[in-house]
Amino acid sequence: MITCDEFFADFGDYIDNRVSPEVRRELELHLSQCRACYVLYDSTCQTVKIVTDSGSFELPENVSESIIGQVMAKLRAGQS
Amino acid sequence: MSFLPEVALGDEFQPFATFCGDLGFFPNLLRAQSLLPRLIKAQTTFEKVVRLNRGGISRVQKERILLCVAVDRGDVYCASLARTALLLHGEPDHRIEGLARDHAGIGLPADEVALLDYCRKLASHALSVNSADIERLRQYGIGGESIIEAAVTTALGIYRCTLSVGLRPEPECERWNLPPGPKISGLEVEHEARSPKGPYVSAPYLSPQTFAPFATLMTSHGFIPNFFRAQTLRPDLLAAQAELAAAILLPEDTLTRSQKETILLAVSAANLNSYCVAVHCNLLRGLGLPAEEGDQIAIDHHRSSLSVADKALLDFAIKLGSRFSEFSLDDVDRLRSAGFTDPQILECEVVTALNNFSNVLQAGLGIEPDFDPPLAYERKKTHLTTVSDRPTQQASAASSAVADVEDPDAELTAHARAGNLEAFEELIRRHSRLVYRALTAILGNQDNAQDAMQDVMLSAYEHIAGFQSRSKFSTWLVSIARNKAIEYLRKRKNEVSLDESPFGEDQDFRPRELRDWVDNPEQAYSRQEIQQLIEKGIMALPPKYRTVVMLRDIEHMSMEDIARHLGLSVPTVKIRLLRGRLMLREWLAPHFAPGVRKANQ
Repeated sequence: MITCDEFFADFGDYIDNRVSPEVRRELELHLSQCRACYVLYDSTCQTVKIVTDSGSFELPENVSESIIGQVMAKLRAGQS
Repeated sequence: MSFLPEVALGDEFQPFATFCGDLGFFPNLLRAQSLLPRLIKAQTTFEKVVRLNRGGISRVQKERILLCVAVDRGDVYCASLARTALLLHGEPDHRIEGLARDHAGIGLPADEVALLDYCRKLASHALSVNSADIERLRQYGIGGESIIEAAVTTALGIYRCTLSVGLRPEPECERWNLPPGPKISGLEVEHEARSPKGPYVSAPYLSPQTFAPFATLMTSHGFIPNFFRAQTLRPDLLAAQAELAAAILLPEDTLTRSQKETILLAVSAANLNSYCVAVHCNLLRGLGLPAEEGDQIAIDHHRSSLSVADKALLDFAIKLGSRFSEFSLDDVDRLRSAGFTDPQILECEVVTALNNFSNVLQAGLGIEPDFDPPLAYERKKTHLTTVSDRPTQQASAASSAVADVEDPDAELTAHARAGNLEAFEELIRRHSRLVYRALTAILGNQDNAQDAMQDVMLSAYEHIAGFQSRSKFSTWLVSIARNKAIEYLRKRKNEVSLDESPFGEDQDFRPRELRDWVDNPEQAYSRQEIQQLIEKGIMALPPKYRTVVMLRDIEHMSMEDIARHLGLSVPTVKIRLLRGRLMLREWLAPHFAPGVRKANQ
């Protein structure tokens, strides 16, 4: 079985689903037998999911409209 | 006497012994590289492994492959060299003649006929090789190890032939008159037969911690390309290739690493090899070349901002690599006139040979891309399907057009460029959130991001007439946001670096927090609480990680687009994304591990 360091080397590609079937098999065998790496894997996937679903850093529509309004006013003033 | 001058190497030169022990003489193809003895050593070591290591294919079978490849390219020198080796191994002359004419007609076993069919197709129509060809080999019991061995031997034949065209060595023995028959003039494509879905052979796991070539690749490239991962069934051949590539590409005493990477990119593009185009675009980005410049070299280097001399270097390499039947001593003289020394010309030829080796091997094994090739190149590629269309001395009509990429904003952008303010307003409305998030990511402050948005939008309008559709409008807009944000931080003496650290991203970040998380952690908090937690956590990340995490996990951009936006290579983006996610995970862990009360309680 691969070591934790070896697991970690391919971890990023694994959570992004970018490893070959052979590498995936090795990583999943390791995950099934190493509690620490499983916790790392599971909590990292949860982190990605929470961040992805969070809708954070929304720009409030009134702020956005106000900025665009100011920009367009300046551009129109420059054109006239 | 070959195209380039030779210098004496001394009797002790180790490659002499290797070749003389094997063939009885030292090939002029290698002697012609005496201006850079390290290149002779690299090729000798490599050939020794490929030709002499015993796998599923015998030595004689490999020499037959080398002979057929040379004959199909009309390369008298390389065909004579392979013929000499075959004669030494007891192959009668009439059988060699027959092999050159029609390998199926000399009574070879059916599996070897199939193997030679595959190798000849690979050598002459590399991009037409597909899974059906491999299936046929398997029906004859030829396994993955032997398929790799055959493909590597074929690619070695291409390496030799490319050098033979560029150096034009005299045959050591009596000149062999090749049998008549059609000869190819460049690496060609048959359109109707393009269904490559690889990889064609399995690739058992090899660890970078125990397999030294992988560790070396991590250092030199910042990642292990699929090109090498796909060959783990034959670690000996894989290691020999990694060593050959390092010996040719890493020294900077003759051509620079960037010059060599541009050669690899331009010749791969001319050979229509998207896999290698994507790899070398990314490696060049890692060396500091902007994404658009890499795309332009792939599409038509004449319109790039390379120096006149470096454009001449690429003209030379493309002709040698892709239109070899037109190559002559005049091309060597032209490069000398452009200011290149003979050792530099030699190195350019060897890099081109290495490129053709890689292009052929990638196609032969159906190796899957590590990254997406540039969209602009993929669109242009359809116009570059015949050998004569590929750019060399003069920009062709097809290559003089600016290559537009698919962009949902194309129509609005065209109107905005013509001065239509309504179109511009619609464009900035579509992308205001993207600009805001990019600014927030770099500035680390939402209020400052809102302040800077106006500047970005006004700057975009000011420069839109010069926007050339080589990238998407959104990519261009984020580049402006990035530059504005960095300018803003510099004004406040707040230095921030989002730049690439050449292949040296910190990769040793290891998580400390390893407690289990609760099931469905999102349910423990309200949506608003989660948003606040995430925003705080992301803002606490160092800027280079924050930017990548926001663009990927909040803005859902592709890795390739993020790399383009930020002027980074994809491997660097991947490393930063993982590290950023892990840091964020550490930050969130106290809130989601069992027994931990809500943060705001």
